[in-house]
Amino acid sequence: MASATDTPPGVVLPPPITERGGVGWAYANLFSNWYNTVLTFIYAALLGVALWFGLSWIVLEADWKVIATLGGRLIIGQYNTEFACPGQNCFWRPQASLLLVSVLLGMAWAVSGDKAAKRIAIGVAAITVAFAFLPYSMDQMGLDVRLLLAANVPAVAAGWVLARRTPLGTVRWIVMLGVLFFLVILVLIGGVPGVPGLQPVSTIYWGGLMLNLLLAVTGITLSLPIGIALALGRRSSLPLVKLLCVVFIEVMRGMPLITLLFMSQVLVPLAFPQDFSTNSLFRAGIILTLFSSAYMAENIRGGLQALHPGQVEAARALGLAGWQTTVLISLPQAIRNVIPAIVGQFISLFKDTLLVYIIGMLDVVEFSRAFIQGNAEYLASARELFLFLALVFWIFTYTMSYVSRRVEVHLRVGQR
Amino acid sequence: MIMIEALRGLTYYKGVPLWRHALVLQWALQIISGVIVVVLVATFFTNITNTIEDREIPHGFSFLSREYQTPIGQHFLPYESSDSFLYAFGVAATNTIIVSIVGVILATALGIVVGVARISGNWLVSKTSLIYIEVFRNVPLLVQLFFWFYVVLALPPVRQGYVIADKIYINNAGLSLPWPSPSSWDAAWVWLAVALASIIAAMVLYRALTQREALTGRSSYPLVSGSVTAIAIAVAGWLFVSTAFGDAPFGISDPAPQGTFGRIAGGFTISGGLMALLAGLVIYTSSFIAEIVRAGIQSVGRGQTEAARSLGLAPMAALRHVTFPQALRVIIPPLISQFLNLTKNSSLAGAIGYSDLANVAKTMTQTAPAVSIYVLLAAAYLAMSLTYSLIGNIYNRSIRLVGN
Repeated sequence: MASATDTPPGVVLPPPITERGGVGWAYANLFSNWYNTVLTFIYAALLGVALWFGLSWIVLEADWKVIATLGGRLIIGQYNTEFACPGQNCFWRPQASLLLVSVLLGMAWAVSGDKAAKRIAIGVAAITVAFAFLPYSMDQMGLDVRLLLAANVPAVAAGWVLARRTPLGTVRWIVMLGVLFFLVILVLIGGVPGVPGLQPVSTIYWGGLMLNLLLAVTGITLSLPIGIALALGRRSSLPLVKLLCVVFIEVMRGMPLITLLFMSQVLVPLAFPQDFSTNSLFRAGIILTLFSSAYMAENIRGGLQALHPGQVEAARALGLAGWQTTVLISLPQAIRNVIPAIVGQFISLFKDTLLVYIIGMLDVVEFSRAFIQGNAEYLASARELFLFLALVFWIFTYTMSYVSRRVEVHLRVGQR
Repeated sequence: MIMIEALRGLTYYKGVPLWRHALVLQWALQIISGVIVVVLVATFFTNITNTIEDREIPHGFSFLSREYQTPIGQHFLPYESSDSFLYAFGVAATNTIIVSIVGVILATALGIVVGVARISGNWLVSKTSLIYIEVFRNVPLLVQLFFWFYVVLALPPVRQGYVIADKIYINNAGLSLPWPSPSSWDAAWVWLAVALASIIAAMVLYRALTQREALTGRSSYPLVSGSVTAIAIAVAGWLFVSTAFGDAPFGISDPAPQGTFGRIAGGFTISGGLMALLAGLVIYTSSFIAEIVRAGIQSVGRGQTEAARSLGLAPMAALRHVTFPQALRVIIPPLISQFLNLTKNSSLAGAIGYSDLANVAKTMTQTAPAVSIYVLLAAAYLAMSLTYSLIGNIYNRSIRLVGN
C-alpha cells in the first residue's frame, strides 16, 4: 500500500510556513481566530493614533525648556540658595554624597555576580557622566560641578576594585559600609557647626529628589525591622501584646498618610518640648516609617501564615527554642516568600515621600509645583514638567521592582 | 492557714527558676509593654492637655454648631456659608464618599478590562495592558494628579471650549452634561419608588428562573425575562405617574452658556478639579486592580477551564460560570483593600483644588480647635475603612468554599 505522501521514510520535513518563524508567530499570537484578528487591527489603529499624537506633541509642540531652567534645583531644591547656605557654594555636598553611593554600587557589582547590580552601577555612572556634558554655559554649571559628576565613573570603578582586591568584598562589609556611608551623607548634607566648608544647613532647606531619596532610604531600612516586630506581636499568644499591635496596625492602615502627617504637624508640637518638635524632616521620617511598618507587618504576617506549620513543629522537635525557631526557621522562609509584597511596600513608601508637601517640605514635586505657581510664564509647560517627573519616578520604581525580580530568581522562590 | 501553706510551697519550689519560667516571662513581658504604652499615651495626652491649657488654645466640640462661614468649592449637598461646622463637615464627607464610590466603580470596570486583556492570547492586546499597568502603577499618584490637573487647565476657556452636539461642553471649568432633573419632587419620588420595586421584582424573577433552569435543565432566558419585566414595570410606572401628576417625573436639563461671560448653567457640571481627581484616581487604582484580576484568574487551575470546555460550555460561559466565580475568592480580599486605598488616596484632592474631607478639615483648623477636628477626621476615615472591611468580609463569607 502506497503511503499518502511521496516523502521517503526517515526524512523530517520542515513545518509549514504558518507554523514557524515570524509568520508562524504572527498566526499564533495575533491572528489565531477571527476576533483576535479584529482585536489586533483595532488595537493597531488605536495605538497608531495614540503614538502619532503623543510623539508629535512630545517632539513638536511640547516646550521642555522648563526642565533645563530648573536643572539641578530638581535634585536639591533650595539647598544651595543664599538663605540655606549663605556665602558658600554647597552644591558639592550632595554631589559628594552621590559619589559615596557610586562606590557602594561598584562594590555591589563586584560582589553580587548578578547582572542587575552591574546594570544599575553602569547606568548610574553613565547618566551622571551624561549630565556632566550638558550644554549649559560655564556660568550656569561650573567646572567643579561637572568634574564631580564625572567623578562617579572612577567612584564606581574604585568600589569595584575595593571589593575585588581587598577583604571588604563581602555582603556583610557592604551592608556595614552602607550604614556608615548613610551617616556620613547625613553629616555631609546637614553640616557640622564650626567646621569651615561644612556649615550647617537647616533641614527646612533640604529638598528636591534628594529629600525623597533620603526619606525613602531611612523609611525602608527602619520599617522592615519594625514591621517584623509588629507582625510577630500580632501573632503572639500574649493577649496584651497582640491587642497593642492590632490597634497600632489597624489605626495606621485606616488613615490616609497625609492626615497622619498633618496631625503630626499640629499634635506633636503640643505633646513634646519645643526644640524637639520643630524639625519637620524628623517628624516626616518618623510618620513615614511608622505608616509603612504597619503595612509591612501585614505583608510579613501573610508570609508567616502561609508557612506550613510542619516547619515550626520540626524545628521545635529538633530542640530549637522558641526564639530560635522564629529567627532561624520561620522568618527567613516567610520573608523570602513575600519579597514581591515587601518590595511593593518599599516602592509605595518611595511614592509616599511626595506627601511631605502637606507639612511644607519642598520635595521634588512640591518644589516644581511651587515653581510653576510662582512663575506664570512657565504655566503652559506644567504638563511637560510633570511628565518628566513621572519618568524620573518611573525609572526609580521600575529599577526597584527589577531588583526584586532578580532577587527572587536568585533565591529561586517558587521552585522549592 | 492556707496563706502559710502557699508560702511554704513557694519556699520549697524546685521547678524551673522563676526568671526562666515561660509563664512568668510572658506575663512580665506583657505587663512591661502594657505599662510602657500606658505611660507613653498618658504622657502624650497630659502634655497636650497641659499645653492647650497653658497657651489657652480653644478646645472642645462646641464649635460644631457655630457657622462655618467659609465657601466650599464643589459640593453635592446644598451648602451655604451660614451653615454650621457639623453640616460643612458632612458636606465634605459626602464629597469624599461620592468620589470614592464613583472612583471605585470606574476603577473596577477599567481594571477588569485591562486585567482580562493582560491574559489575552493576543500578543498586542496583552503587551498593551502590560505597559499600561507598569507605567501607571509605578508613577506616584500625586504626579499623575498634577499632570491631569494641568491637562485640564490647558483646555480652552469657557467661551472657546469644545461643544459636542450643543449638549456637552468641555472647557477648563469642567465637563457639563445633560442631566435628569425632576419636574416635581412628588412625582419623582413616586416614580423612583416604582423603579426600585421593578428592579427588586426583576431580581426575584431572575433568581426563580435560574433555579428552575438548574433543576429542570430547560432554559427560560432568565436575564432577558428579568430585564424585560423591569423595563415594563418602570415604563408603566412612568406613564401612570405622568398622567396622575399631569407631568413627567423627570425632564432633561441641558447645559447652556449664559450671560456675558458664557458661564455654563443647567445640566450637571463636573468641575475641572474633580475631573482631574477622578482621572488620576481611576487610572492609578485600575492598574493595581488589573494585576489583582490577572493573578486571580491565573490562580484558577487550567484544568477547570478545560473541563468546562469539554462539558460543552462556550468560552464566555466557561469564563462566567466556572473560572470567574473561583477567581473571585482570590480577587475579593486584595480588591477591597484597593477600594480602601482609593478612598484614602482621594485625600490628595486638596492638592488640585477639590474640597474633599481632608482638605476641608485642614481649612477648618484655621478657625476651629485643631485637636477636635482631628478626632473627627480620624473617626470619619476609620468609619469608612471599617465599612469597606465589613462589606468585604460579608461578601467574602458568602462566596467562600462550602465546608471550608
